[in-house]
Amino acid sequence: MSEHVVVAPLVIALVTAILTLGVRRYPRAQRAISLLGIGAYALAVLALASRVFPIDVLTGAGGSTGTLTYQVSNWPAPFGISLVADALSMFMLVLAVVVVVPALAFSVLYVEEFGQRVSYHSLFHFMLAGVTGAFLTGDIFNLFVWFEVMLMPSYVLVVFYGRAEHTRAALQYTVLNLLGSAVMLVAIGGIYATVGTLNMADIARRLAHAGEYGIDPAPVLGLGAILFAVFALKAGIVPFQFWVPAAYRAAPAPVAAVMAGVTKKVGIYAIIRLLFTVFGAATIESGLGFGMAGTSFLGLFGPVLFLMAVGSIFLGGLGAVSENDLDGVLAYSSIGQVGFIVLALALAATGSGAVRTIGLIAALVYSLNHAIAKSLLFMVSGAVYEAVGSIRFEALGGLSTRRPVIAGSFFLGGIALVGIPPLTGFFGKLLVFDTAGKAMVANGAFADVALAVALAGAILTIAYISRAWNRAFWGSPSDPVIRSYQPTTMVAIVAAFSLLLVMLGIGFDPVYRAAEAAAHAGTEWKVYVEAVSPEVIG
Amino acid sequence: MIAVAVGTMPNLPLSTSAGSEAAGQPQVVLAVVLGLLFALGTFLILRKDLVRVVWGVTIISQAANVYLVTMGGLRGAVPIISHGGAHGEVTDPLVQALVLTAIVIGFGTTAFALVLTYRVYEEHGTIDLTEVSS
Repeated sequence: MSEHVVVAPLVIALVTAILTLGVRRYPRAQRAISLLGIGAYALAVLALASRVFPIDVLTGAGGSTGTLTYQVSNWPAPFGISLVADALSMFMLVLAVVVVVPALAFSVLYVEEFGQRVSYHSLFHFMLAGVTGAFLTGDIFNLFVWFEVMLMPSYVLVVFYGRAEHTRAALQYTVLNLLGSAVMLVAIGGIYATVGTLNMADIARRLAHAGEYGIDPAPVLGLGAILFAVFALKAGIVPFQFWVPAAYRAAPAPVAAVMAGVTKKVGIYAIIRLLFTVFGAATIESGLGFGMAGTSFLGLFGPVLFLMAVGSIFLGGLGAVSENDLDGVLAYSSIGQVGFIVLALALAATGSGAVRTIGLIAALVYSLNHAIAKSLLFMVSGAVYEAVGSIRFEALGGLSTRRPVIAGSFFLGGIALVGIPPLTGFFGKLLVFDTAGKAMVANGAFADVALAVALAGAILTIAYISRAWNRAFWGSPSDPVIRSYQPTTMVAIVAAFSLLLVMLGIGFDPVYRAAEAAAHAGTEWKVYVEAVSPEVIG
Repeated sequence: MIAVAVGTMPNLPLSTSAGSEAAGQPQVVLAVVLGLLFALGTFLILRKDLVRVVWGVTIISQAANVYLVTMGGLRGAVPIISHGGAHGEVTDPLVQALVLTAIVIGFGTTAFALVLTYRVYEEHGTIDLTEVSS
C-alpha cells in the first residue's frame, strides 16, 4: 500500500535544508550540497511523476494515471497522515521543479556570498519542503502545518536584505499571513468538529453521504468559505492581494520568481483540491440562499470566484500599466494573471461535465505558463539589476541593442504572458477563452461577461508588457545601460529557461494530456477516496 | 512537528453534541472568553503601535488554539484511556495533539514577529505604523 517514493521529495528537501545549515563554515560545500540537493529533489519528483503519469498517458496511447499513497508511520487512513500523489498533485510538483531548479542556480550567482552563507540555501530548501508537503498531503491539518513550513522561510526571504523598505514589506506580509493562519486553524477545527475527520478523502466521502453519517453540511459550507479565503490570501487574489507588490519588490529576484511561480500556485492548488475534490459531491439540502441556484457547494463558490477573478484581472492589469519599475509591473501582472486562472476556475465551478473539465484544464495550463513565464521575467529583472544596477524605467532604455540576450529572454517571457503562439501562454489563453465559449453554449451563468473580461484582461496584458518593453528595452541606450556589463552565466541560465517556454509550446500535446489527467484527478473525488481508502468509522 | 498523528478517533461519538449535557457551564464561559479574546486581538491589531499589533496577532492565534481544544467537545473527562481496561469516559485527544502542533508553530512565528519589530525599529527609528508606512 505505502509507496516510499511518495515521501522521497519531501525527505530530500528537508535533509538538504538541514545539511546546508550544518556546513555554513564552508561556502563552497554549502553551495554544492544545495545544488546537489535540488538535483536529487528533481530526480525524485520525476521518478514519482513517471509512476503517476505512465508514458502511454502522455503520448495519448491510452492507459490511465495512477494514484500513489503513503501512510506516514503506517497508520492507516484516516487515523494517520496520508500523503497522496495523484495526477493533480504531480502536475503541480513538476511545475515546482521546473521553476525552482533554475531559480536556485540563478540564486547562487545572484545573492551575495554573505547572505548565501548565513541562511539563504536552508531557507530556500525549507520553503521547497513546505511547498512539496502542501502539494502531497491528504490531510487538512497537515496542510496547515506545511503552509506554515512554507511561510516561515518566506517571511525571512522577503526581509532578506533587511533595509527600510524590506522590513516594511515583510511586516505587512507576516502580519497578514499570521492572521490567515489563525483563521485557517479556526476553519479546520470547525470542520473537524462537524465532519469528525481531518482526512481529505474521508471528508469528501462523509460529505457525499452526509445523511448517513449524521452530518449537517451547512456549517461545513461556511467553514469551507473561511478556508477558501485563506487559500485566496496565499494566491494573492483580490481582495487579498495587497501584500503582493511590496513583498515581490522586497524579496531577492530568484525568491520573487519562486513566490510568484510556485507558492502562489500552492494557493491555487489548495482551492482546486478543496472545492473540486473535497467538496466535489457535497450538497446542501435546503438550498444555498441568496437567490443562488442549485444545492452543490460549488454553486456558491462559482460566483464568488468570478467576482474575485474580475477584480484581480482589472486591478492587476491597471496596476501594472502604471508602475515605473520592472518588479512593480511583474508583481501587479501576477495579480492579473492569477485572475485568469481563477476565472477559468469560476467557470469550472458553475459549469458541469465538459465545461468543468475544460475549465480546470485551462486553469492548470495557465498556471504552468504563468509559473514559467513570470519566474523567468523576475529572473530577467534580476539579471538587469545585476548588469545595470537599477530596474527603474527612468534609468533603463535601449537594453535590446546593448544586452540582446537579456532582452530576448524578456521578450519571450512577455509574449508568453500575452499569449502568442507557439508559446505555452497561447494555449493557456486559448483554453480560458474556450472555456468561456463552451460555458456560453451551455448557457452558463456570467459566461458572456467572463469572455469580455478575459478579452479586456488580454488587452491590458499587451499594454503593460509593451510599455515595459518600450521603456526598458527599446530606444537609445541610457548612460547606466552603456556602462552595464554582461553577467554571462546568469544570462545563460535565463536564456536556457526562456527556451523552455518555446519547447513546451511546440511540444504541447503531452502537457495538455497531463493537465487533462490532472483535471480529472481533481474532479473525480471517488477515485481519490478509493486510492486513500480511509477505514469506515461509524 | 510533522509526525503528530492526525486523523479520527474511533468509537467516539461526534464531539459537539455529546459534550453538552455533561458540562454545560464551561462551554458558555469558554464561548464568552473566546469571543472576548478574538475581540481584544482584533482591537490590538488595529492599533498603530507595532508592538500592540504583534500582541494582537499573538492573542488571536492563542484564541484559535483555545477554540481548537473546545472542538473536541468538553465533556469533563480526560483524554487518557487508563491501563487495565476499566476506564470511564474519555475525551477526544486528537484536538490536543493539534493544539500542541499549533502552539509550537505559534512560538516560532511570535519570536520572528518580535525580531522583525525590533528590526523595523532599527531601520525606521519608530514603531508607529503611520510613520513606517509613509
